[in-house]
Amino acid sequence: MLIGPVNLSVLTTACSSHYGNVIEEFCLAKFKLDMEVLDQRQWCSWEDTVESYGELTNCTFLVALKMNCFWPNRMVDEFFIRVHRHYFHDCSMSGRLLHDPPNRILGPFIVVPILVTLLMTALVVWRSKRSEGIV
Amino acid sequence: MTQSQYKCLELLGRDGSHNKTGSFCSRFWDGLLCWDETPAGNFASQNCPDYPSFDPLEKVTKYCDESGNWVHSSSINKTWSHCLTFSKEKIKTLPVHGFLETETELDPTAESQVSPVVTQKVEERKKIINGQYKCFEKMNRDQPYNKSGPYCNRTWDGWLCWDDTPAGTYTSQNCPNYFPDFDSTEKVTKYCDETGNWFRHPETNRTWSNYTLCIAHTKDKLKMAYILYYMAIVGHALSIVSLLISLAIFFYFRSLSCQRITLHKNLFCSYVLNSAFTIVNLITVVNNPKVVQRNPIGCKVLHFFHMYMLGCNYFWMLCEGIYLHTLIVVAVFAEEQHLHWYYLLGWGFPLVPASIHAVARKKYFDDNCWMSVDTHLLYVVHGPIMAALLVNLFFLLNIVRVLVTKLRDTHRAESNMYMKAVRATLILVPLLGIQFVIFPWRPENRLAGEIYDYIMHILMNYQGLLVATIFCFFNGEVQGTLKRQWMQYKTQWGQRRREHCSTRSTSYTATSITEVPAFMYHHDCNSEHLNGKQTEDSELVALKTGETYNVQSLCVGKAVSVEILLKALFIFSTALLLGVETQRKQKKIQTWDAFFFFFKCHSKAASVRLLSHPFWACGHK
Repeated sequence: MLIGPVNLSVLTTACSSHYGNVIEEFCLAKFKLDMEVLDQRQWCSWEDTVESYGELTNCTFLVALKMNCFWPNRMVDEFFIRVHRHYFHDCSMSGRLLHDPPNRILGPFIVVPILVTLLMTALVVWRSKRSEGIV
Repeated sequence: MTQSQYKCLELLGRDGSHNKTGSFCSRFWDGLLCWDETPAGNFASQNCPDYPSFDPLEKVTKYCDESGNWVHSSSINKTWSHCLTFSKEKIKTLPVHGFLETETELDPTAESQVSPVVTQKVEERKKIINGQYKCFEKMNRDQPYNKSGPYCNRTWDGWLCWDDTPAGTYTSQNCPNYFPDFDSTEKVTKYCDETGNWFRHPETNRTWSNYTLCIAHTKDKLKMAYILYYMAIVGHALSIVSLLISLAIFFYFRSLSCQRITLHKNLFCSYVLNSAFTIVNLITVVNNPKVVQRNPIGCKVLHFFHMYMLGCNYFWMLCEGIYLHTLIVVAVFAEEQHLHWYYLLGWGFPLVPASIHAVARKKYFDDNCWMSVDTHLLYVVHGPIMAALLVNLFFLLNIVRVLVTKLRDTHRAESNMYMKAVRATLILVPLLGIQFVIFPWRPENRLAGEIYDYIMHILMNYQGLLVATIFCFFNGEVQGTLKRQWMQYKTQWGQRRREHCSTRSTSYTATSITEVPAFMYHHDCNSEHLNGKQTEDSELVALKTGETYNVQSLCVGKAVSVEILLKALFIFSTALLLGVETQRKQKKIQTWDAFFFFFKCHSKAASVRLLSHPFWACGHK
């Protein structure tokens, strides 16, 4: 469904439901192209998709500005839910910022130095005992 | 498919049938515009499309390179930036979601939030986009609302994610940490009204979350953080000065040389280096966001060395504990132990946790300058430190137990002397930070919390000075000892005196040593009667069992007990302080994050000051 530019210029005063259509047509098109360039397995990779995702967000915001809508709004929510459902539905939920490794990696990293410390302490105690005994 | 795209593809189909000489870039649809065939090495240009927010009078250009490929720019902003038309006035009239409605205050955040073309702080943007992504993922996957009654739909307000909320209720969560002036211990509130719609701000009629508390007190907190920061630097500087003085005393007065003094020297060296690294770190990295942004490799190396020094600190304390334990509990003559293993444990071993931390941090949590304290990877260093502290505590409690039982067995006036030692310790206890037991968590009340912070930091930074002044510089014993040492030094210049550590004479005027805590357990049955000692004043233990013991002057009781108890308490309080720190990790504003992490180092300064004076004079006269 196409909203012609002529119609848009009329709707300058209020936010209307056409907003949803416009971002669907205008912003999503570019995003689709960007994602198609990537391999489907890369869709879950943050480094590859962060710029396109950011641009998509920017685009929805700019359209909102132009159409006198406040951002974000209900239509933005629904729009992004659809985008996520299509592109990111099988990605991990953990978000993309730096986060700790999973426990099965973190655990050994913490426990092993502690055990080595205790071992080393025992060794030093034993050695100092021995040197004492040699009096 | 849009009309424009359809037209473009149609034209593309018709293009294919032409023959053209030379290389050229073929027609293509970039998502917004149709680009005609262009000869290689040329720019192609056309008007911006008449889309919302685009100015159709502006032009867009694209370059076709020599090999016949279009040069793609990866960002919409780079290609289309000329086309975007909104103006700054427009930005100001549109209050950003959820923030204050007074535009003047909004400006810095408004622009960074609102305009993608205006320079944005990249990190903030990343965090916000990350938050948005997580929010929509969560909205996608959460169960639909299953309670009855009207409710407000889950939503993303631009900064934070809000769940389905029953009508007529307030919901709140912590402020985000996107901006430096946002205090993430404060709360954001959002109201869902009775009709099941989110609260709309009356002026603009847009849904609005209340972020006002996030910046309400930030200036004050920032001021306080700076005050504490400067206090930390002063505290560490004082620490270094007093430690260097005591090190100078140790090195200068050769007569004091002893194995325990050697361990003390190493301990103080590690303290000095740790304080030095802390100061360097605080000044060059923590207070310097530009450096953090640049993220040079140097600041990570600095962090690595800082972690190493921290480990050295605690492991040298452990060495002292092991040494004392071996000396006292494991049945000892004042025979020299081999110190190699202590050196290995004190200087060599801390490389292990520090390196493992560096590797793990690089691989899994490589933030700028490794400044973040929000990661459990820090426990790679702190875990062994706490293990060392606990082992030390066990050793020292064991020593105290042995001392107490031995003292009790002798049925002497030691008990009286011991009471004095305990009293002295009790005076020192609050100074050393045991108060952390009483107030382990910062009070929620803002004013009480501030007072708590100030008191804690003053105690941590200046207690060492106070203790050193009261118990050392103003102490008649100490002054007498100093004078004596000076006289001895002058008269015995050049003579190396090792008697205090060796196993010979028992004269106590000759050498007043502080160090040897050697509580001699002779293996025969006379052991009970050793350490006759004490009058109230003298701390020298005269051994009166009819045998010449192998130790010259045994300083037992007051000096040792106090010192050992101090160490135990100090270690305990430091361990608690680390525990407090992990608790506090949850409650920080961004600017606190790095500051507090270094403040905990100060608790060491206290004990250092105390240990640094070798003037717990044994053989006071």
